[in-house]
Amino acid sequence: MADVVLKDIRKSFGAVEVIKGIDLTIADGEFCVFVGPSGCGKSTLLRIISGLEEATSGTLLIDGRDVSEAEPSQRGIAMVFQSYALYPHLTVRENIGFGLSLAKRPKAEIAARVGAAAQALQLTDYLDRKPKALSGGQRQRVAIGRAIVRDPKVFLFDEPLSNLDAALRAQMRLEITDLHAKLKATMIYVTHDQVEAMTMADKIVVLNGGRIEQIGTPMELYNHPATPFVAGFIGSPRMNLLTGAAATRMGCTTYGIRPEHLLLSADSGTWGGTIRHIERLGADAIVYLDVPEAGQLMARTVGDTALELGQAVWATPMADREFRYQ
Amino acid sequence: MTPRQRNTGLIATAAATLIFITPFLYIFFMAMKTKKEAALFLFTVPAEWQFWANLTEVIKARNYMLLLAYFNSTLITVGAVTLLVVFGAMVGYVLQRRPSGWNRLIYAGVLIGLMVPPAVVPTIWVLQGLGLFKTIHGMVLIQVAYGLAFSVLLYRSFISTIPRDLDEAAIIDGARPWQVFFRVILPLLKPVTVTLIVVQSIAIFNDFTNPLYYLPGKENVTVQLTLFNFTTQFQSQFNLLFMNILLVTIPPLLVFVLFNRQIVAGMTSGAVKG
Repeated sequence: MADVVLKDIRKSFGAVEVIKGIDLTIADGEFCVFVGPSGCGKSTLLRIISGLEEATSGTLLIDGRDVSEAEPSQRGIAMVFQSYALYPHLTVRENIGFGLSLAKRPKAEIAARVGAAAQALQLTDYLDRKPKALSGGQRQRVAIGRAIVRDPKVFLFDEPLSNLDAALRAQMRLEITDLHAKLKATMIYVTHDQVEAMTMADKIVVLNGGRIEQIGTPMELYNHPATPFVAGFIGSPRMNLLTGAAATRMGCTTYGIRPEHLLLSADSGTWGGTIRHIERLGADAIVYLDVPEAGQLMARTVGDTALELGQAVWATPMADREFRYQ
Repeated sequence: MTPRQRNTGLIATAAATLIFITPFLYIFFMAMKTKKEAALFLFTVPAEWQFWANLTEVIKARNYMLLLAYFNSTLITVGAVTLLVVFGAMVGYVLQRRPSGWNRLIYAGVLIGLMVPPAVVPTIWVLQGLGLFKTIHGMVLIQVAYGLAFSVLLYRSFISTIPRDLDEAAIIDGARPWQVFFRVILPLLKPVTVTLIVVQSIAIFNDFTNPLYYLPGKENVTVQLTLFNFTTQFQSQFNLLFMNILLVTIPPLLVFVLFNRQIVAGMTSGAVKG
């Protein structure tokens, strides 16, 4: 159990600065998600915390101890990789126990701890298999088992679910959240998927271009995005963002309204347009409107809506749900 | 199978038999003949089978020189191949994982080592200067020097197919750099290691010219040089020469038969990721 503190962390590759001064405190036991588009530096930041990458400048404290210069194995962290990075020549048992056998722990202790981790992850039946004989979800669990068994202060996850199919991803999201509740360890999780960020995080750190854009709980970011970038990134389907003349008419440079906060009406409203496309998701439907004065708008409405393609409709934003950025 | 396919198959089998089996058969028959019959060089079944007589004579020749030669050749082969595997894998690993300027230069050196032909006389000067001339370990080092470039090349390209995540996972698990290499990377190199063992051990065991140049001396004899035992200016015993060839061929043949499957696997794995 430990808190993680980053003080003015910077990282350059040659002349390119990819991490431009990050100050961040992650509390003990918190589930913190780094989210951002590709190339925003989120994975690099995680690798700096893990010690696989060295920061160009700045200080990193784990559990109050300065580990900026420490070896990865001395930092009390464990990491789960996107590619799982299981050792192909070792069985599941040996994979999970690899770190312990490197540390020359007694055989009985290794067996007990591997057994406990396998039990927690429902891997007991697969302990003697090689990774190639496992499914994607099982491999991911082995990778998590390898992390658990080291009993780390901080868990690091580098896009662990991006190689899984959608159904399995939803299930693993739940399992990782359960694991966090059970272990109560600090977890840092990197993803580009805002759904993972929203559903799992205690705290979301939105990164953009090597800087922190905003830090907050999922609902804080949803209800009060500080910048147009965060507004566009958090929430699904993404927020309608208007710029130029359409925004000026609303009294700002960037105007945002979420699809779920646009009311559609047949006869009157703020913007008039025609329906170009309807995505029916079952419970609700996403309506794409072509609005001459604002471009394309998305609106969320009930699943069995009577609206039809090509129909002229009016969209009106809910008054207290608008975002105006200067 | 259509008749056409069958006929093509039969022709191919016949051709392969002619090319690969006939020489062996010829050696085998010659090795069984008497001295007089062998001198005729005919491809016939021996009139009188002299297996045991020829075998014991070959082994006893020049005070059991063949047994000493087996020992020397095996020593050189095992020593050189072990060093080739260990050094080739280590150098290939570092060259692949750390693309620094120096390593690019070293890699260029490796490629040059593959292209530049070795010169015998200067090599002998160097060996004499180091006190390694006419020694078994000197011969081992020569074979390592000749084979290392190829082995580094092979390992380096194979290691590039092993994801770097594995190194990093091992580092996170607390492995020291040598543990990352010996416990994670080296076991994964098994297919290419087997290939290298077979290719190099056969080449080194069967090497005739290098031991001839660099390893003179009666006590340093290697198997290929024992072939000189039965050909002299005035008299040649071809039945014994062919028996000697037969005996010398057996160890490489065994290596090849034992490792054949893994060689094929090694040649293809690494070509395509998966």
